[in-house]
Amino acid sequence: MTLFFKGRFALFAKIVILSIVSAVLLMLCQSAFAQREYAIAGFLLLAVLAMNYVYLTNKRTVPFKFFLPGTLFLVAFVIAPIIFTVVMSSYNYKTGNIISKEEAIERVSALGVEPDENGTTFDIVIGKAASGEWEILVSDITNNRYFLSTKSTIADVPISDLKRNEFQVATEAPGFKRLSAEVLSQDEGYSKIQYKYLGEYFIVADQPEVGAVFRQTLKYHPENDTFINLQNGQVYRDNGRGNYANPSDKAQYLEPGWRAPNWFSNYAKLVTDDKVRGPFIRVFIWTVIFAVLTVLTSFAFGLLLALALNKAIRGRRMYRSILILPYAMPSLMSILIWAGMFDTEFGAINNILGTHIAWFSDANFARAAVILVSLWLGFPYFYLISTGALQAIPSELNEAAAIDGANGRQIFNKITLPLLFQILAPLLIASFAFNFNNFNLIYLLTGGGPKEQLEGQIAGATDILISYTYQIAFGSNTQDLGLASAISVIIFFLVASISLYGLRKSKVLETFG
Amino acid sequence: MSTQKLTIRKWFRENLWRHAVALGMSIFALFPLYLVVISSLNPTGSLQLTSFIPREISWNNYKLLFTSPAIPFLSWFRNSLVIAIAVAIFSVFIGASSAFAFSRLRFKGRKQGVQILLLVQMFPAILALSAVYVIMERVYKFAPNLGLGSQAGLLLVYLGGAMGVNIWLLKGFVDSIPVELDEAAKIDGASPMQIYWLIFVPLAAPVLAVVALLSFIGTLNEYILARLFLVEMESRTVAVGLQQFIAGQYSQNWGPFAAGSILLSIPIVAIFLSLQRYIVSGLTAGSVKG
Repeated sequence: MTLFFKGRFALFAKIVILSIVSAVLLMLCQSAFAQREYAIAGFLLLAVLAMNYVYLTNKRTVPFKFFLPGTLFLVAFVIAPIIFTVVMSSYNYKTGNIISKEEAIERVSALGVEPDENGTTFDIVIGKAASGEWEILVSDITNNRYFLSTKSTIADVPISDLKRNEFQVATEAPGFKRLSAEVLSQDEGYSKIQYKYLGEYFIVADQPEVGAVFRQTLKYHPENDTFINLQNGQVYRDNGRGNYANPSDKAQYLEPGWRAPNWFSNYAKLVTDDKVRGPFIRVFIWTVIFAVLTVLTSFAFGLLLALALNKAIRGRRMYRSILILPYAMPSLMSILIWAGMFDTEFGAINNILGTHIAWFSDANFARAAVILVSLWLGFPYFYLISTGALQAIPSELNEAAAIDGANGRQIFNKITLPLLFQILAPLLIASFAFNFNNFNLIYLLTGGGPKEQLEGQIAGATDILISYTYQIAFGSNTQDLGLASAISVIIFFLVASISLYGLRKSKVLETFG
Repeated sequence: MSTQKLTIRKWFRENLWRHAVALGMSIFALFPLYLVVISSLNPTGSLQLTSFIPREISWNNYKLLFTSPAIPFLSWFRNSLVIAIAVAIFSVFIGASSAFAFSRLRFKGRKQGVQILLLVQMFPAILALSAVYVIMERVYKFAPNLGLGSQAGLLLVYLGGAMGVNIWLLKGFVDSIPVELDEAAKIDGASPMQIYWLIFVPLAAPVLAVVALLSFIGTLNEYILARLFLVEMESRTVAVGLQQFIAGQYSQNWGPFAAGSILLSIPIVAIFLSLQRYIVSGLTAGSVKG
């Protein structure tokens, strides 16, 4: 066995594996670099260096030999996204402000054009000039004028030099290399060029056969970072929040904007902006109620069961196998099954009750349904851990109390219950933290609804913070990643402090002393 | 005669409530499951419950899963299996080696390392979803096989959590292996790598198996990342595939959905029940001992 760990064979195997992994990562690093993804390329390069250092030297790196693979994954897919989220929470980052500033300038310039007064269009043929530049052959049939145009040049072509089709459209000219439709469908570079025309006007080849006359209305001036409207002279300046805006009228700004730092505005919005604050507080209160009720009801029923089955009654093993089933089932499937059972028309619940309740259309019914399902999902867990805890309480305590004359109820209230709480408190807290973020249950059961569509609100009656955040980030028409990230950071602090409190209680941390 | 009456009364007082509670909760627990089983065997495949005892049993819904192009169940199942098995294997090795190092090796920053790991673990994965999405979108630009939309990319993202998720269970187990074993090995000239592979891994094999199965089940049960990553019908996992299949169309698609969810659940429930003992002790580890 030692063959695998010491000597030439081991060294050889190590070097082979290490070089294969390094080669693959370096190749990825190179293509990332080529695509200008410098952060990812840098990470990959560091990973290769770290790996080679850790596995080829020996003295100080022994613990890292065990950590490194896990740590690399952790950094790439957990820590980096967390940092990204935190940074994003201080940005104006939402629909309309997604791209970078350079891209935004490009887009504003491209959009800041208008057609000439008559909306003139020409028949055109697209090709390349002798220099290899994109060139169009334009047929101005009304004026009987034909010319070749590129980005920077324009030259009339005498009719005698042309070949024209039956519609008087020029198809060939000397020095002009026409490109076929197949070539053009592969390379759409022609559509991005402003071909020279009269004065400030230019031609845009939107489609391969038609050119339209436009002129620029918005022009970017890099020297003082402004956009100027060429027709009316209006100046638009960087407003510091990701848009070029009219300095005297802030509501007048150019689309699209870019993602720009706005520091604590997203957090401030949660307190100051009524449209955000109202739903946020409502959702927050329901989140706490939902998590508390879920833990309390599941714990109550679980404990009751644990007490009931804490004696060797007939059929106990059968009961146990049945009771554990909701916990053993894949919860995703269970939630979808329950959603079907609550169906208004055909669902089993209405069927049995003989009612016709639209469970997910009424706020209170929907909330009751959510609690019922989370009880179903949660009570087996509490049954299992309560059983474990009951067995962990030394029987001497109960016996001593019985000798001192305590009756069953007194023993339970004064000894069993307080001890149970002490043992289970960390798990109750952990379960609270879990349900606080129980995204799947809400999202798959009710989708957060019912929602008041009329008021255009994102938050539904059963939305908890995390499903609400998801809606803000990915859900509706405007996606506000900045605000969603800010709420994420707040949730993290809440859950982390709850969990840390629980861990400290359980003394788990000290085992790492 | 009177003593017999007394024992019956005593039996009622002592045991009746136990049976009542257990029976009541058992019915509650079984009800949705029973419902799915009978609707999967219902020839009409309707959501509506006509009677509690099926009058006619048909395997039609199950047949549909394997024949209908609208539900490529076999592909979904294969995808789920491949991803979950890969996650299970890799995360066991990542988790076990980290737990071993945290438990047995002495080095600077050990405590801080664990605390950072703990803290990071508390950041709910869904919250960083948009960031993971953006990162993998960029990876897609230079390596389409690893980026957004690929199963390999999804696997990489899942492995991000491998180090932290099972560290409690594993570390608890490593701590229970007597230190004397390593010390003896060390005196005999074994390196930490040798101690890990030749002493720790064989001893921990049962726990490693449990951890592997737990992450296997956890991966099969994961929804939102799989949903974001696997857009194409054929590349979906069972969970995402069935969810998208049923979405909003409970009345039409209920029968095949029920059949599919049973086929997915049977292996998971079987694994769970056979490992009950270990899983339960894992659940309570660190608290009951506390």
